[in-house]
Amino acid sequence: MHTPPRLISTRFAPIGLLAAGALVLAACGGDDGEQTGSGEADSFAGETLRLWHYEGDNSAMGIAWDEAIDIFEDETGATVEFEEKSFEQIRQTANMVLNTDEAPDIMEYNKGNASAGLLASQGLLTDISDAVEEYGWDEKLAPTVQTTARYDDNGVMGSGSWYGIPNYGEFVMVYYNEDLFAEHGIEIPETYDDLVAAMDEFVDAGVTPLAMSGAEYPAGQLFYELALTQADRQFVNDYQLYENPVDFSGPELRYGAETFSEWVEAGYIGDETAGLAAEDMGTSFIAGDYPMLYSGSWWYGRFVDEIESFDWSVSLFPGSDLHPGSSGNLWVVPTAAENEELAYEFIEITMRPEIQATLGNNGGVPVAAEPDDIDDDKSLELISLFEEAAESDGLAYYPDWPVPGFYDDLVGALQELINQNATPEEVLEQLQVAYDAGVEDITN
Amino acid sequence: MSATDTAPRAPVSTPAPSGRRDRYRRGPMRWLVLALLIAGAAVVLFPFAIILLNAFKSPTEYSNAGPLAFPTEIYVEGMIDFWNQVNFGRKLWNSFMIAGSVAVLGVVVSLFNAYALGIGRVKGRLSIVVLFLIANMLPHEALVYPLYWMANQVGLYNTQLAVIIIFTVIQSAFGTYLLASVFGTFPQELLEAAKLDGASKWQILWRVVFPISRPTLSVLFVFFFIWTWNEFFIPLIFLISNDRQTVPVALGVLEGERLMDATTTSAAALLGVIPAVIFFLIFQRTLARGITAGAVK
Repeated sequence: MHTPPRLISTRFAPIGLLAAGALVLAACGGDDGEQTGSGEADSFAGETLRLWHYEGDNSAMGIAWDEAIDIFEDETGATVEFEEKSFEQIRQTANMVLNTDEAPDIMEYNKGNASAGLLASQGLLTDISDAVEEYGWDEKLAPTVQTTARYDDNGVMGSGSWYGIPNYGEFVMVYYNEDLFAEHGIEIPETYDDLVAAMDEFVDAGVTPLAMSGAEYPAGQLFYELALTQADRQFVNDYQLYENPVDFSGPELRYGAETFSEWVEAGYIGDETAGLAAEDMGTSFIAGDYPMLYSGSWWYGRFVDEIESFDWSVSLFPGSDLHPGSSGNLWVVPTAAENEELAYEFIEITMRPEIQATLGNNGGVPVAAEPDDIDDDKSLELISLFEEAAESDGLAYYPDWPVPGFYDDLVGALQELINQNATPEEVLEQLQVAYDAGVEDITN
Repeated sequence: MSATDTAPRAPVSTPAPSGRRDRYRRGPMRWLVLALLIAGAAVVLFPFAIILLNAFKSPTEYSNAGPLAFPTEIYVEGMIDFWNQVNFGRKLWNSFMIAGSVAVLGVVVSLFNAYALGIGRVKGRLSIVVLFLIANMLPHEALVYPLYWMANQVGLYNTQLAVIIIFTVIQSAFGTYLLASVFGTFPQELLEAAKLDGASKWQILWRVVFPISRPTLSVLFVFFFIWTWNEFFIPLIFLISNDRQTVPVALGVLEGERLMDATTTSAAALLGVIPAVIFFLIFQRTLARGITAGAVK
């Protein structure tokens, strides 16, 4: 711990800094430990790994990483100095902290061009390609999961060097309230046509079928999924990786906007949802108000804990091979880190089957778990869906990713559709302008 | 309005006969004012009621019954977990120390500045005061990157001293503006009398100006304390180590990327707001006195 003792209050804080500096010097000895490889006990005794992440301590990741910290301390003899950060703080301060000697040795960071890609292009993250090869991490990760771990010189994901390693995945799917389906005598849909038919029956019965939030990400993800039903992988590469220009009035996105609008008109989506937050959408599903919810795997653990009054199940969105989803956040090693070797050692431990299994058994989506290690049925249901999507190269990332600030454009556009203030054509035009301007900035 | 004016001056003490007659005469008006005050209080207290309601509710119950339902059982685990998770006692101390130092230093700096500007009448004081006001109104987001850069250059990044210095400057900008205008109307006779008695400038400040303006200074002190206590953005940027963080920054831990923990957030908000309320109650009398004493007799 480089923490200054309590008596040294702010007035003497520079002394605290000196103390930290001294420890940093002491830690530099670690660089000699290169090439020690994995599993060598006590080779790092007396050293410190400063680690930051921002997952709650009872979330799947929090639990699994706690276990990884214990194993790490046992095996290497080094101490982990862990601080739980807030998502907001990391988001706001990462590019500043990483430029100073306060930077940790390893931290969790958001994947994507605007997050990890940006830091990588600014030279704040270590290129870990050599470690990836040495430890063989690339063999453990499905190709669509790898996309978000690699960034080129402009910080665009999908190619170039490795800058991070994801431990978990996430994807968007449909959650069904089975009791409500049974009550109205409706079958759980298996095809896209079934889905539409089921929603019609619910509307006839006076039930709004789909929980929705227009004020946050869910509406944009549904719009994107509807577009993906008409799309192939090349469309995703064009949209997300800028391989070719994207035409918003083309068949995919036009279908998405028009269908979304039709769903609102048909009453599948309540028009009062334009102002609802994602949290409201989730709690209304938990309370049993809606038969269906289209949203991400991040709700899964919470639903397992909190849904008491009905049975529920999940499936991928019927009628589409592509689904919003990606790797989870990344372990990154700041350029200012003092102890890269220790950081790699830690990443290696988090990729082990037993840690991955812990992650999976607690409601997370591990990227490298052995299915046999997952003994919880509900978790297995989730993980097999993810594998289905990841192995068929079906993760299409998120609609707001390509362009900084596009999230707000999407939310605004879809609110107009929910409120029926604008036609799909008008909305697509707005989005085209915002998208093109953003891509122009990035690729030049 | 006149009805409320008389009310605080003559608290419970002796309801004079004349006061009683007033009450009969202004009967309907008084009730109207009372009703408006109650409505106002209800609006102000509503958020507190929501926090209180959800602070003692389990997450499951919150999700199933919504934010407005009464909890069926008192659930304090969330609060205890949060306290331990973020080491809340430490955060309280940090906040108290930072807000306290800023309040004291801010008042002292404001007093010196205002003495020079309001009483000393230095040249170009109006433009200086306007400059201070503008500095005070700049959004923190615009200031933060240069501040970060400077703090990092001098080795103060990630120290509470940096936050104290920044807020002392920001708060005393407002304090200078306010005090300078108050001192502009300071009775000249008093100053001249002191001068005739041979008091130096320093003595005038401490023996004459300071005692007379103490009520105003106390108000500034309380304001500075509460404002600094509630600050989020700059402490978030400058206090990187968890054990140096303040209460509002600690509350941020509860908001995830996509999920929020509404009940624990309520519990934590309650813990965070209690010290500010206690502080306010202790100094409430000073505040009331200070507001009327703002204009020097």
